[in-house]
Amino acid sequence: MPGPVKNSDFVSKIQVFEPHKAALPPLVPYFKEFWKRRTFATELARFADKAEYLDSKFGKVWLVLNPLLLAMVYFLLVTVIRGSSSKNLGLTTLAHILIGLFTFYFAQNCISAGAQSITAGGRLILNQAFPRALLPFSSTISAFQQFLPTIPVYIFVIVVGKHFFPTTQVPGLTWNYLWVPFIVLMVGLTGFGLALLFATMNVYFRDTNKLLTYMTRIWLYLSPILWQPSMLHGWHKMAIYLNPLGPVLSATSDVWINGKSPSLTIILGSLFWAAFAILFGGYFFISRERDFAVRI
Amino acid sequence: MRYASKAPVVMPEELAVRIEDLSIKYKINVDTKRTLKNAVMRASKGERVRTRVVEAVKHLTLDVPHGSVLGIVGANGAGKSTLMRSIAGILPPTEGRIIVNGKISTLLALGVGFNPALSGRDNIILGGLASGMTRDEIEAKTEEISDFAALPDGFIDMPVRTYSSGMYGRVAFSVAVNMTPDILLLDEALSAGDASFKEKSFNRMRELCKEARTIVIVSHALATINELCDSAIWMHKGTMLAKGKPDAIVDQYLKFLDVGALPSNFEDM
Ligand SMILES: Nc1ncnc2c1ncn2[C@@H]1O[C@H](COP(=O)(O)OP(=O)(O)OP(=O)(O)O)[C@@H](O)[C@H]1O
Ligand SMILES: [Mg+2]
Repeated sequence: MPGPVKNSDFVSKIQVFEPHKAALPPLVPYFKEFWKRRTFATELARFADKAEYLDSKFGKVWLVLNPLLLAMVYFLLVTVIRGSSSKNLGLTTLAHILIGLFTFYFAQNCISAGAQSITAGGRLILNQAFPRALLPFSSTISAFQQFLPTIPVYIFVIVVGKHFFPTTQVPGLTWNYLWVPFIVLMVGLTGFGLALLFATMNVYFRDTNKLLTYMTRIWLYLSPILWQPSMLHGWHKMAIYLNPLGPVLSATSDVWINGKSPSLTIILGSLFWAAFAILFGGYFFISRERDFAVRI
Repeated sequence: MRYASKAPVVMPEELAVRIEDLSIKYKINVDTKRTLKNAVMRASKGERVRTRVVEAVKHLTLDVPHGSVLGIVGANGAGKSTLMRSIAGILPPTEGRIIVNGKISTLLALGVGFNPALSGRDNIILGGLASGMTRDEIEAKTEEISDFAALPDGFIDMPVRTYSSGMYGRVAFSVAVNMTPDILLLDEALSAGDASFKEKSFNRMRELCKEARTIVIVSHALATINELCDSAIWMHKGTMLAKGKPDAIVDQYLKFLDVGALPSNFEDM
């Protein structure tokens, strides 16, 4: 006689655990279980912020202040090196660095927090069975929530800037802003995919995360943030497409700085990297996640 | 992980867990830390990674009927926790298979997946959500769980890192027994807690046994096994040495340990 099941029937009644010969587990049940537990990911993101006091008022200010100050430093560096001439150009440069850095930070936070999510979730992984991809997914949600408040800050800087430099090139409100959700989604997907990849690597090589901090620094300089995509000519433009965040950051400057909709190649490039990151990272992660409990 | 296989599964109605020729191996990296740096260094010297395989469970076959209480005894490193983890679907079998019929709740040796920076209440909610409950379901249970744990003045809302190990054990036990599982896996669960909580948890266990739930208990407190279980197995170096009535198994086990049935072994519960 089975005992009474008072809760909703949240695991299929009969479960079979077998050695895995196939590289991937059956994906439909995997995603069903994943979807059923999506609140776990959102709550974990909320609780993680709580644990770091990021849900407090000052915590939120800090989240914005950090990239903002960094953007200021980079802006000073760039203007000093380039010896910027007109004041209008100054605002454009600042705006470009700001929005580029905010967007890059979103991806970077997805990846760095996601990469640690498995090794940091040790006990949870040793003691409960659930689709492990929920942990990096939760980091992505958390990174998104940290990214959101930077947008009003950016808009505030532009509005104030336009007040003082009315002739600036930075656009006001245009229909092109409708591209913003698409851009954010592409950054989120690319970040999540790469988080899956590095989270798996981090289980096998515990210094992956250290390596990652150097890599993201270099990646930042290789990305069109401190420089504009329009500065590249000819085959140098390839540098944009070889960078997983290149196309989507170009789209960012098109929409926010140049006030135009991104070109088709840019859109396709963004889509390609998002899809590639999710498929490649997802395969790498899901095919190995059943070993995580043994290796934690 | 909980993914149904496509092969036809034969599972008699009356069984809660069926273990068929189960083997579980750990592959241990013997030397150095597992870092990229070391891997590159080794590769440049042409060395190979030295690994050692530990066979924690060897060809174990076992049926656990619904409503039975099974005790597992055995020395340290016998493979008891490993077996429990694989029944919970956390460790994949290396060979053989496990069929489980019903919802599982676990309380395993290393403590639940509590995040030390979060409060006991937050951890209860997270654990419930991870096991697939909805927000409403777990919130309805949280009160019951924290009442059962009965932590002193408001500790349930303090970060878990401020808990004493007994308080930690109380919350963990309350979570496990209040999730209304079909199958309850307890690994060294009754050892924490003071006398009054032990009494309470013991009563709760008796209740659960009466409610015809399936329970698997791993414990070094042999008196617990004797009193609560209706059958027991003795594991030794990954194999099942004996199976039968708890008192017979406990006797055999004690003889093996060459201690005899000392009263102290029956008092430590
Ligand atoms: N994560 C791990 N990685 C590698 N080997 C492990 C791991 N966990 C356990 N083992 C090995 O597997 C064997 C069985 O361990 P297990 O934890 O199942 O024993 P146990 O019966 O629960 O012991 P105890 O009574 O001390 O809790 C031991 O030899 C142990 O060294
Ligand atoms: Mg153990």
